[in-house]
Amino acid sequence: MIKEKTANLQNKLINFIIIALFAIGTFFVIGGVFIGWSLIVIALIFWTYRFLKQEDMKLKNFLNIIYLKIKFPAFGLLLSFLLGGIIMYISGYNPIRSYGAMIYGGLIKNWHITILNSIPLIFTGLSIALAFKGGLFNIGAEGQYYIGAMVATWIGLRVNISPFIIIPVIFIAGFMGGALFNVIPAILKIKKGAHEVVTTMMLAYIAAILSSLFIKFNGGNPVTSKHAYITDTIFESAWLTKFDSIIPSANYRLHIGILLAIGLAILVQFFLYRTRLGFLIRVVGESPQTAKTQGISVPKIIVLTLCLAGGIAALAGVTQVLGLDHKMFENLNAGYGWNGIAVALLANTSPIGVIFTALLWGALDAGGQYMARTVQTPTSIVEIIKGLVLFLLLAKYLFTYLKKRRKV
Amino acid sequence: MNFIGSIINTEFFIAAVRLSVPIILAAVAATICEKAGIINIAMEGMMLIGAFFAAWGAWLTGNPWIGLMFGIFAGTAMGLFHGWATIDLHMNHVVSGAVINILGFGITRYLMVLVFGHPGNSEQIPLSLAAFRFKIPLLNKIPFIGDILFNQTPIVYLTIVLLFVIQWVLKRSAFGLHLHAAGEHPEVLATLGISVKKIRYIAVGFSGTLCGIAGAFLSIENGLSFSEGMTSGRGFIALGANTAGGWSIIGSVIASLFFGAVDALALRIQVLNIFDIYSELFLIFPYVAALIAVGGLVFKSNPPKALGEDYQSE
Amino acid sequence: MKKVLFIFLALAVVCGGLFASGSQEKADSKPIIGMATDTNGLGDGSFNDGVYSGLKRAEDEGLIEIRLIEPTSMTDYVPNLSGLSEDGAGLIFATGFLFYDAVLEVSEHYPETVFAGIDLSFDPSTMPSNVIGITWKEQEASYLAGVVAGLMTDKYSNLSDKLNDKNVIGAVLGMDIPPVERYIVGFTQGAKSVNPDIEVLSVVTGTFTDQAKGKEAAIALSEQGADIVIQLAGLTGIGVFNAAQEKGFAAMGCDIDQSFLAKANTITSARKGISEATYLTIKNYLSGDLKSGSNSEFGLAEGAINLAPFNDFEDIIPLEVREAVEKAKAGILDGSINVYSTRAELGM
Repeated sequence: MIKEKTANLQNKLINFIIIALFAIGTFFVIGGVFIGWSLIVIALIFWTYRFLKQEDMKLKNFLNIIYLKIKFPAFGLLLSFLLGGIIMYISGYNPIRSYGAMIYGGLIKNWHITILNSIPLIFTGLSIALAFKGGLFNIGAEGQYYIGAMVATWIGLRVNISPFIIIPVIFIAGFMGGALFNVIPAILKIKKGAHEVVTTMMLAYIAAILSSLFIKFNGGNPVTSKHAYITDTIFESAWLTKFDSIIPSANYRLHIGILLAIGLAILVQFFLYRTRLGFLIRVVGESPQTAKTQGISVPKIIVLTLCLAGGIAALAGVTQVLGLDHKMFENLNAGYGWNGIAVALLANTSPIGVIFTALLWGALDAGGQYMARTVQTPTSIVEIIKGLVLFLLLAKYLFTYLKKRRKV
Repeated sequence: MNFIGSIINTEFFIAAVRLSVPIILAAVAATICEKAGIINIAMEGMMLIGAFFAAWGAWLTGNPWIGLMFGIFAGTAMGLFHGWATIDLHMNHVVSGAVINILGFGITRYLMVLVFGHPGNSEQIPLSLAAFRFKIPLLNKIPFIGDILFNQTPIVYLTIVLLFVIQWVLKRSAFGLHLHAAGEHPEVLATLGISVKKIRYIAVGFSGTLCGIAGAFLSIENGLSFSEGMTSGRGFIALGANTAGGWSIIGSVIASLFFGAVDALALRIQVLNIFDIYSELFLIFPYVAALIAVGGLVFKSNPPKALGEDYQSE
Repeated sequence: MKKVLFIFLALAVVCGGLFASGSQEKADSKPIIGMATDTNGLGDGSFNDGVYSGLKRAEDEGLIEIRLIEPTSMTDYVPNLSGLSEDGAGLIFATGFLFYDAVLEVSEHYPETVFAGIDLSFDPSTMPSNVIGITWKEQEASYLAGVVAGLMTDKYSNLSDKLNDKNVIGAVLGMDIPPVERYIVGFTQGAKSVNPDIEVLSVVTGTFTDQAKGKEAAIALSEQGADIVIQLAGLTGIGVFNAAQEKGFAAMGCDIDQSFLAKANTITSARKGISEATYLTIKNYLSGDLKSGSNSEFGLAEGAINLAPFNDFEDIIPLEVREAVEKAKAGILDGSINVYSTRAELGM
């Protein structure tokens, strides 16, 4: 009895150590202290060792399983880079120098920019992934981004109290704003069958245009303001903590929004796969017919899903304002909506996967900028590579298609 | 109340027609494609690519008609691509559409740099299709309608002709019946020995063609060059038009004309400075109208029964 | 076997990348001048293109090496500026008023680099010593254009079939940003100075990239009687020339001589010499004469502002109009004419 209990305790302790090592390592790596990778590697080794022991598996088989899992995405990635390289070469640019700059820039030199780029993408990616799991397409995520940003700016400009109160309040308010913004598409869908692609898209355009009006009213009026088309700066009490207050060597713009994003991804994963509501959403997504026969109120779930998705996408805007910009610009070229879709699709709509695909996208952008600056290869090649990487979706389908053909 | 007279006049309707042509083409493209059972949300991307290739062709050869051919070719290619992804690769239709939209922006940006050396705006085309405006004798003498419909530029006429042809084919020909069936009960078609696959390919390919024409209108008939992002959301408004119009050609046309009219109206109200309010409120007009139309239900939402459902043929 | 190949390939790519990045040094013999565009990038038909053409001119003369970077979104503004500094650029042009914060932020960290903010002006008492704010007096250029328009549309409308006798002129604006505002204010003031009863209509299209909208706006203006429409809308403005050709009215351009867009319909353009000002700044920097820590306003007196040639309208514009323009120029130069730069001053 006691032996069991101590064994249990020992197990929990080892678990804790592994998670702690992993988390601390990740924290350092995000902050640009790359020694952190060693902590992550150590944690992974420990975990693998335990996993193999528990499952009584050989290392060879384990590696095989991993290989099978990442075969497709990796294959797609490699192929797109290869094709991108060929296109570069044909267009007269040096692919090796370009890729070198891209990889160095995205993963090392400008790693903090990769992180900063990926933060809003994780949020919008999660929003779209969640909606997708529920069988819905929240294409208007970019509009919800603006709503979140507006709410955060509005409150941040007017309320100046302790960060421990104001920041959670703004997050909640922003979430509600985004959720409410998707109520109209949700109701139109359940009452009138209006496809949410159209309704959320239209609202996204409306939100983008109204955001210019908002900015004019909040410090950006071109007639009266020193900084036309930019709002005033929000109170410092609402600013998200920067990494350099904990890791002094981190870039001064890096903020803890990334931790919030990762946390949310874990939360969404948990919600979808460990809670009843999440289960209901997935059932409705797989087959609304089945859900109905099971007595699930499909319309209610649809509204819930769209509103949750709207709220999560709005958080992208909130973190951007509170963490990075501390004000609102007219970010009309942001593209967080479409890039969010790409990120969600690439991750096969897995919430944890979204973290990684968002980082990939962020790295492509940051690396592309570095490449453009140092090697003078135009950034448009990054757009092509992104498109090719999306083909990786097709690659999966292509593979299955070719396999079927071969069978016949 | 002289304002009403200043706004609602012949010029207004001419402008409404001009502004709605690309939307009509894209909306009808959506209608045809979706009637056959394939969801198409990629009009925006297809139009953009069509616009680029049309401008490229017109610039390269100096002949806007060749530009139009380029645009048609590019649009059709994108349409067939969407068809291949959804029909043969069995990809989710909305996902494929989303990918094409993303690709539309990426490809045009890259090609801009490749062909013209810089992003943004392409070189001006030497000759635009608008130079080929002509009046149709006799018909253009009809008061009011004569000016609006019969004193126009080539693609506008092409659109009018295509509309009649398409409506006739859909309602009166065997192919039209088959297309309708492909979207409602594809299994029935199969039992008749007709290839659902072939019909869907034709439908989606043709919808790409229409989008290519719409794009060409924007860049080489109504414009003098290609500008990145020049479709400005018209593809999505067209989607709304198709939905509001209840998946019928006539409905799509009426809804598109409505959106074009709203756009023309917003501009004129601003010029006349009738209401001294922020220009942004005018800018959201078309999108609000689309939202109301789609939700407000001009026609009841009646999508084809087999829309979006993957059809596995042997 | 396949797996080994796969792993090998993956490692090769990553390693190759990391090592290749090291071999990037080239012999830099010429001073590096950087340019960070705004999110519109090159091809905007306005600031970005203008500044780049000034840079190109200096490069073609063998004076400098250009490092250009276009951002994907505004998040890239700060890293682009700091990145260019780290690459060794001694002078960096940042285009657009949205660079305000970024320039102030980055210039602190790189005191050796000079940051030239295009269309930016800073508070002289607090601006860092390695920052320059460069703006133009667009209102002076458009004032001259307004004088021409004011006279042609009324007194001399009979000289061209493109003009009518309604005494209305129009302007198509992109977005209501400071340079656009300066343009429209100058235009209105100039027109009214020679033609007090003239009606100046304007439309804000809300975009600098939608030709079709520009065309519609111009057509709407012409339907209300405007026979001369000036475009103040970047790429959207291309539509104005299109409309002028189609409907047979006259157009005016801005920033550069835009008559190439509609030869027979363009009277003139309000030039503001972005390219010239950039080139001048570069030359000053190279010779060590650049005064940083202050704002430079390029106007008529500095030789940057002017009207473009009348081109196809050369034979149509009468002597009185040319004299009026010269009189206006003289008045601006000697200070007797104060051209307003904001709507408030004009009482609009």
